[in-house]
Amino acid sequence: MKRLVLVRREQPLRGGQPLSFLIGLVVALLAGILLLVASGHNPIEIYERLFNSSVGSSNAWAKTLNRAVPLGLAGLAVAVAGSMGLWNIGAEGQILAGAMMAAWIAQIGEGWASPLLIPLMLIASILGGALLASGPGIARAQIGVNEIITTLMLNEVALRLLQWLIHGPWKDPESRGFPLAPLLADEARLPKLFGRAHWGVIIAFLVIAFFGFIVSRTAWGYELKVAGSSGATARYAGISLNKKIITVMVLSGGIAGLAGGIELSGTSDRIVEGVSGGYGFAGIIVAALALMRPSGVAAVALIFGAVQVGGLSIQTLGVSSSVSTILQALILFGAIGAGVFNRYSLKSVKREKKGGST
Amino acid sequence: MNEASMIGMLSTTVSFGALLYLACIGELISEKAGVLNLGVEGMMALGAVTGFLVALNTENPWLALLVAMIVTAAFASIHGIFTVVLGAEQVVSGLSLTFLGLGLSAFFGKSAVGNPPGAILSNVDWGPLSDIPWVGPILFQQSPMVYFAIFVGLLTSFLLTRTSIGLALRGAGESASTVDTAGYSVVKIRLAAVATGGALAGAAGAYLTLSITTSWQDGATAGRGWIAVALVIFGAWKPGRAAIGALLFGGLLALKTRLQTFGVNFSPILLSMIPYLLTIGVLLIISIRARHRPSASPSEIGKVYRREER
Repeated sequence: MKRLVLVRREQPLRGGQPLSFLIGLVVALLAGILLLVASGHNPIEIYERLFNSSVGSSNAWAKTLNRAVPLGLAGLAVAVAGSMGLWNIGAEGQILAGAMMAAWIAQIGEGWASPLLIPLMLIASILGGALLASGPGIARAQIGVNEIITTLMLNEVALRLLQWLIHGPWKDPESRGFPLAPLLADEARLPKLFGRAHWGVIIAFLVIAFFGFIVSRTAWGYELKVAGSSGATARYAGISLNKKIITVMVLSGGIAGLAGGIELSGTSDRIVEGVSGGYGFAGIIVAALALMRPSGVAAVALIFGAVQVGGLSIQTLGVSSSVSTILQALILFGAIGAGVFNRYSLKSVKREKKGGST
Repeated sequence: MNEASMIGMLSTTVSFGALLYLACIGELISEKAGVLNLGVEGMMALGAVTGFLVALNTENPWLALLVAMIVTAAFASIHGIFTVVLGAEQVVSGLSLTFLGLGLSAFFGKSAVGNPPGAILSNVDWGPLSDIPWVGPILFQQSPMVYFAIFVGLLTSFLLTRTSIGLALRGAGESASTVDTAGYSVVKIRLAAVATGGALAGAAGAYLTLSITTSWQDGATAGRGWIAVALVIFGAWKPGRAAIGALLFGGLLALKTRLQTFGVNFSPILLSMIPYLLTIGVLLIISIRARHRPSASPSEIGKVYRREER
């Protein structure tokens, strides 16, 4: 009798992760075909639309890039925390906090010129996200409170705060009863880069590149990884763990907050319930696929952006936009499944007579 | 505030509480075995849509409940296989499960939106008990799922504390290598715990569409899966305390839609923040106390167990 067991490789496969990601993508697209056929759709027609509407024209690219911005920043936020072994599950709430802060500055600064107002809005959005993440950071550093749960809970708190604002104090009097904040003034909107793509694309790219540099190329980033892999080693090396935890959570929250500010000022133009668009949660998947590396985050965010834009476009063909949600989750599961073989190899061994184990 | 609206409010407290409790006990079992599953919201949605669709096609509510539980148990096992066998990060896999569950339920539920239910789980008539003023309508005119939730809570409490299965399960979450040495398979225990958790989240979902809303729409679970995750912590991983928490959180959900009728001038939206803030508060207290005594949280939660790396 033979059985298959997973044996850990001495070294993870080089270049394994991009390959796993591609396998995940292919697996997801194949599973998508099954799903579409089973529900009586024509998969070729739908995939063609999905492709054309997300990367088939400059207009499509503009939409995809705009979506990749909050995805990439949220992914970066998770990755920065993740490089120290911390889980920031609160990017969704931090995006909302950032958007709310930016909207608040836009209200205060009514009539100010764009070159003054927009930077102030974005700074406020960073502060908003950082503020929301600082609580879990301090609680983790000082009393060891699990940051997964606190950041998760604060998502719901931030969402309720936003709902309260748009149902009450910030409700647009001309919204005919809909819970919407008033539209931003023109001065508060990010200028366009090309077509509908806005300057947030450049900002996000620079922020990701900056953090990519400091995480992988500076002593600070190295200390982060040491602290993440072994608290004891870090203490021995004289790295202040508590300070690092708080700093990293504040930075992570600030990055997610910026995503909210850019999303408000560049895309949604007003505070609505869906302003965070699930980017905070998708960002976790993006960061995981990028193995918590900022450089990978940009690439994965772009592909997820395309899948999301494509998903919205196929609604007109009578397919639920949920196909895009399903595809995103399947990409991750496919990639994790394939990724196992980066770290493990399959070996067939003879089963022992009793209690067969390796 | 009159008597009828007060009774209505308390009765809703019990039914919402039972819904949260079912999903919470499922998550508790999974976490006790060492597997955090953040897929509850997705599993609940999938259970809700499966139950509703099966009821629509068979007109048999019990079959609908059963199928919903089996489907979500299998669905949760995706998380089980990825985290327990393949060693994926529990947080990431669980969140992806939520994505997948919400996506699949929206996809397959699309045709059922706006449909009247094919069958519902009607309230149990306890005869004379149901006629007792106050107590009758609040406790004895409920959906069978309420009594199922109570049964599941008692059974879980008994199994966890009084039986060797429960000991092995808790061991898998506290000290996996010890359980392995004792001759149990950590992998099998964890897989079974995750599947059971999925079945209970699915039961909560089916309860929603077969008894409470009796319809399906996108986002029908409305974040209740997240409240169930919070409830596990609020209850400090104990079924008894979680039951108190479930009634408290259920009460807040029931109160939310009734604030205006009760003439209270407070935003129902801000009220719905309370469960999450309370959970953070409880977590802080647990963490502060954990400095002096063993933590309430399973110590190996989130960790992969590999025998050869013991």
